[in-house]
Amino acid sequence: MAKIELNGVGLTFTVHPHKRVSLKEYLVRGLFRRSVNPPLAVHALAGVNLKAGPGSRVGVIGHNGAGKSSLLRLLAGIYPPTAGDRVVEGRVCSLFDISLGFEPEATGWDNIAYRSYLQGETPATLKGKVDAIAAFTELGEFLNVPVRHYSAGMLMRLAFSIATTIDPEILLVDEVLAVGDLAFQQKAQARMKEMMASARLMVLVAHDLTTIRNMCNRVLWMEHGAVVKDGPPAEVIDAYVRSVKGPSAGVKAA
Amino acid sequence: MLSHVTAVWKFRHFLLALVRLDLRLRYRRSVLGIGWSLLNPIAMTIVFTVVFSGILGADAKKYAPFLLVGMAIWAFLRESAVAGSRALIANESYIRQSPLPYALYPLRTVLGQAIHFAIALAVGVALVVFLNGHLGNPEHGTGPLEVIGLIAPGLVLILIAAWAVATVFAFVNVYFQDTQHLLEVGSQILFFLTPIIYERSKLDGKDLGWVVDANPANLFMDLIRAPILHGEPPTLQLYLTAAGVTAGLVGLAAGTTAWLQKKVIFHL
Repeated sequence: MAKIELNGVGLTFTVHPHKRVSLKEYLVRGLFRRSVNPPLAVHALAGVNLKAGPGSRVGVIGHNGAGKSSLLRLLAGIYPPTAGDRVVEGRVCSLFDISLGFEPEATGWDNIAYRSYLQGETPATLKGKVDAIAAFTELGEFLNVPVRHYSAGMLMRLAFSIATTIDPEILLVDEVLAVGDLAFQQKAQARMKEMMASARLMVLVAHDLTTIRNMCNRVLWMEHGAVVKDGPPAEVIDAYVRSVKGPSAGVKAA
Repeated sequence: MLSHVTAVWKFRHFLLALVRLDLRLRYRRSVLGIGWSLLNPIAMTIVFTVVFSGILGADAKKYAPFLLVGMAIWAFLRESAVAGSRALIANESYIRQSPLPYALYPLRTVLGQAIHFAIALAVGVALVVFLNGHLGNPEHGTGPLEVIGLIAPGLVLILIAAWAVATVFAFVNVYFQDTQHLLEVGSQILFFLTPIIYERSKLDGKDLGWVVDANPANLFMDLIRAPILHGEPPTLQLYLTAAGVTAGLVGLAAGTTAWLQKKVIFHL
């Protein structure tokens, strides 16, 4: 049974302005007071509580850098929480950076296999699904071509088709649907509605408020790593829009 | 640690598919294809044999297989460490997508290297059979099957040890990218401190035997090369020492993984 439970989850990590610390840097830091590459503490999430079960379609909205993507990565188990605890039960599938996690030199068919294995499929279980995945992508002959020749939209088609055909219990989507063309966006929305009907749990990050309004039955508004408002879509989205546009802007903008 | 290994097992299809892909890509658009895996050790062996049988006065018929097998073992250890140290950085895109066990990525490198190792070793064995007319040694009562049985534990141990070493360096390399360059230099030095191009007996007379005894790479030379060349069974003590060293390396890798697996993502 799909279940997400976050209790007072915080995520703090240190980053260095220059990407990596060299051995020299490490030694010098011990000898001299000031480092040219001092660590910066980033508070990505603070005190986040979230409980969601089957059938929940949670939309996450907020400014850039509000912690939305960190929240998804934490739910996916990629970031460990540095405070509080996280319980995620069920088969998780995540759609984050779509071009990531493809082997650029391998064909579309091969990448279908790799991604499916990554989600815990076996050659036996994949056999029955691979045609369905290929059909949903509508990529046809392009599946025989290495994916480095694909456009962003084509990669998204491939990633989305694999992620949803293998039937995850929890689907985490980060702002990727916007890349597809109109036809595929509609197809994707229909597929997601289908998945939700079978009581799947979904968490969706998007800046397109119409998508959130159409797809979700619950919305989290995040700011500075904390949940500002949590409730039914219309209410939270209106509050969010008002805060961005000023109180006079009203509801129509959404 | 056990849960880590079972998690790797769970994603074995993913792992093996990528190992196959790596193998295919490595020789993409080359005429010889996987033949390059064969050609490299053979060419090195020919050069060294010609040069050293002159300098050291070694018998070329004995020296060539000695060198070929030694180089195969060494190349596997070196590449596992050097290429393995880049495993986490190279697979960052997967790490950022799915919470797979980290040890899986060094294993991708090591298994890829193991295939080249197997090919080079097979050439070495073929050379021994070609030159001696047989594998094994009637004096020790060993035939071809016995030899394979004798080196099997060594092969398993070297694979595990290489995985462990690659895992440790893969983690360290995320924090200090200098590691991979240090490893290249270090392996160059170690190459000459390991009895690969010379017999160990050359050092014993000069009070340098301890250099070899302190070198774990030498354990695997004795464990794999000696049975292939001379059909001589390794002593039980040698097996146990190698198993102990491997266990130590596995412990180190498990400790490193446990220590850093929740932190490394923020440094990638």
